[in-house]
Amino acid sequence: MRSGLMLAAGLAFGLLGGTAFAQEAPVKLGAVLPFSGGLELFGGQARLGIDLAVKEINDAGGIQGRPVEVIYEDNQTDPRTSVERATKLTRGDGVIAVLGPITSNARDAMLPTMERAKVPLLYATNYEGGACSRYVFAFNSVPNQELAELVPYLAENRGKKFFMFGADYVWPQKMFETAAGLVAEAGGEVVGTEFTPWGVTEFAPVVRRIEESGADVLLFALPGADGITFIRQAEDFGLLEDVTVGFLGFSEDYLGAFGEGKAQDMWVTVPFAAADPSEGVQYFTGRLAEMAGPDVVASHYTMTHYNAVIAVAEALEGSETIDAEALVDGLEGLEIETPTGLLSIGAEDHHVTMEMFLAHTVGDGLEVVDRLGRLAPEAGCN
Amino acid sequence: MGADLVLALLDAANFVLAIILVAMGLMVVFGMMRIINMAHGELFLLGAYALLVVQGLGGSFWLALVLGPLAVGLVGWLLEVLVIRHLYGRVLDSILATWGLSLLIRQAVILWFGPQSKVVAAPFDLRLDIMGQPFPAYRLFIMAVSLIVILFCFWLFHRTRLGLAARATIADRATAEAMGIDSRGLDRLTFAFGAGLAGLAGVVMAPLLSVDPQMGLGFLIPAFLAILTGGAGELMGVVTGGVVVGGSQSLVARVASPAVAELVVLGLAILVIRLLPNGLVGHFRQRR
Repeated sequence: MRSGLMLAAGLAFGLLGGTAFAQEAPVKLGAVLPFSGGLELFGGQARLGIDLAVKEINDAGGIQGRPVEVIYEDNQTDPRTSVERATKLTRGDGVIAVLGPITSNARDAMLPTMERAKVPLLYATNYEGGACSRYVFAFNSVPNQELAELVPYLAENRGKKFFMFGADYVWPQKMFETAAGLVAEAGGEVVGTEFTPWGVTEFAPVVRRIEESGADVLLFALPGADGITFIRQAEDFGLLEDVTVGFLGFSEDYLGAFGEGKAQDMWVTVPFAAADPSEGVQYFTGRLAEMAGPDVVASHYTMTHYNAVIAVAEALEGSETIDAEALVDGLEGLEIETPTGLLSIGAEDHHVTMEMFLAHTVGDGLEVVDRLGRLAPEAGCN
Repeated sequence: MGADLVLALLDAANFVLAIILVAMGLMVVFGMMRIINMAHGELFLLGAYALLVVQGLGGSFWLALVLGPLAVGLVGWLLEVLVIRHLYGRVLDSILATWGLSLLIRQAVILWFGPQSKVVAAPFDLRLDIMGQPFPAYRLFIMAVSLIVILFCFWLFHRTRLGLAARATIADRATAEAMGIDSRGLDRLTFAFGAGLAGLAGVVMAPLLSVDPQMGLGFLIPAFLAILTGGAGELMGVVTGGVVVGGSQSLVARVASPAVAELVVLGLAILVIRLLPNGLVGHFRQRR
């Protein structure tokens, strides 16, 4: 009898303790990211940030007492798969927001689906600008934020002749459009602009054309493996001794891909550098290491995706209802504290004003040279 | 201008020889066995990772240059025994099956080594001065390896009993077997040899490239183009095709841009395949 009572009490206690959280239905978020198909590195970086944010929100009691749950979907680095996954998340799972994707073509493909479902897409990759909708929020930089300080700095310190070389798609083309204006403003000259298709493995002809142009600075926008191949071959030819590289889109993901003493002094403007000694960044990378192990690599993709999830929690904190529309309303004009400082979401353009950093590669790290302060986005919404 | 022309031709020759080096194993397997090996790029990838592993364990580039092709050749041997031998005479099935193998190998590499790009080191980091312009000495080494591979393949298939037996098997399997040729053994050997060549190309080319699980794809397309334009089925075809595809790509990229170069190369390939369906070499051989 007594043991029966104890059992019942134990059961009741167990139920109470176990369900204090689970009584409330979770707030579901979706994430459509590449975990295969070529860009899994970026998908992994994004997931790291999302996981940390979810852990911290839930440890602090969730959103109005409801736990946050993220449903991850692999888009296989493919636009059509992205649309299928977005449809599944919005129709089937009833998520109130979708994080991701990485590539512009996947984002553009998903946009009509998101608008039809009236669920916001929280896009946290640096891109060319112009994705403007009630149902899109961009948490990473647009061209002016990456270039406005970088170009004048390189023109001032490394020389006035700029060569631009990048992959043949929308992001490099828009970046170079913005850059051309900035080069002219800085009293410089564009001595060449070239694009390459993906998958090129031999860059000797281009390296020679850049050398021939007499350029002081190479603005470079060829992301991923192709970019690594180019930098390796350019280094073999000695190009990097004569030309300073502004490596657009560079992040810690690339570190370790070049070898000791290689690819030094390449410049970039980023919203986050893991080696930044500032307290906020070090606290952030420390928490990441605690969650994912001491060897974890963090880049700005990690922080921007983290920021996006934190913004969701703050946008819904005082809200009467927890749904997609309330989230959109809450995000508009929201300000949050991030590892690098204050971030504000534009009430109209849905793009973010945030701290940016001028950095270059030193040894096997990205060293912050200048804190540029909070830079407002030119989102390209008309 | 003279110096510019010499350098442009040198760069073109460099790329041509690199393409032939990568395409040779593909050609051997297709020419001798009628297997279109979509996993060739992944065998190339395994060669590059063999170099990574050997260097990671403190071994030298030269050790990897020996071990890499042997290891990938062994993988080829196993693939032939397990999968390929069921596919002879079924061209479409062989494309699907080897494509599946390519996905399998790539995902295995991702699981094992991770998706990020890795570093391998060239055995020497020397830059020569050719007509006042820099030229990495390692590129000359690649050209030499490719030339040796080309000459070796011609010798092997046209000057040895083994090559004669292999070609006899292709021409008429039943008669060859009646003559006492072990055609099964030759199949295994040929596929393993083709795989080994892919592995060799992987080791040799890796220091110029981003070493990551997707790297097999980059060279597969020019290699296939070279074989198609040159003429599938014989060694001379891959050499000719390599010259056309690699030469035009490199020279057009030098005077115009890589984007234009790709247009020109693909346009040229379509033209050749439309007008000369047997490829350049195949066409002229028929007319003779």
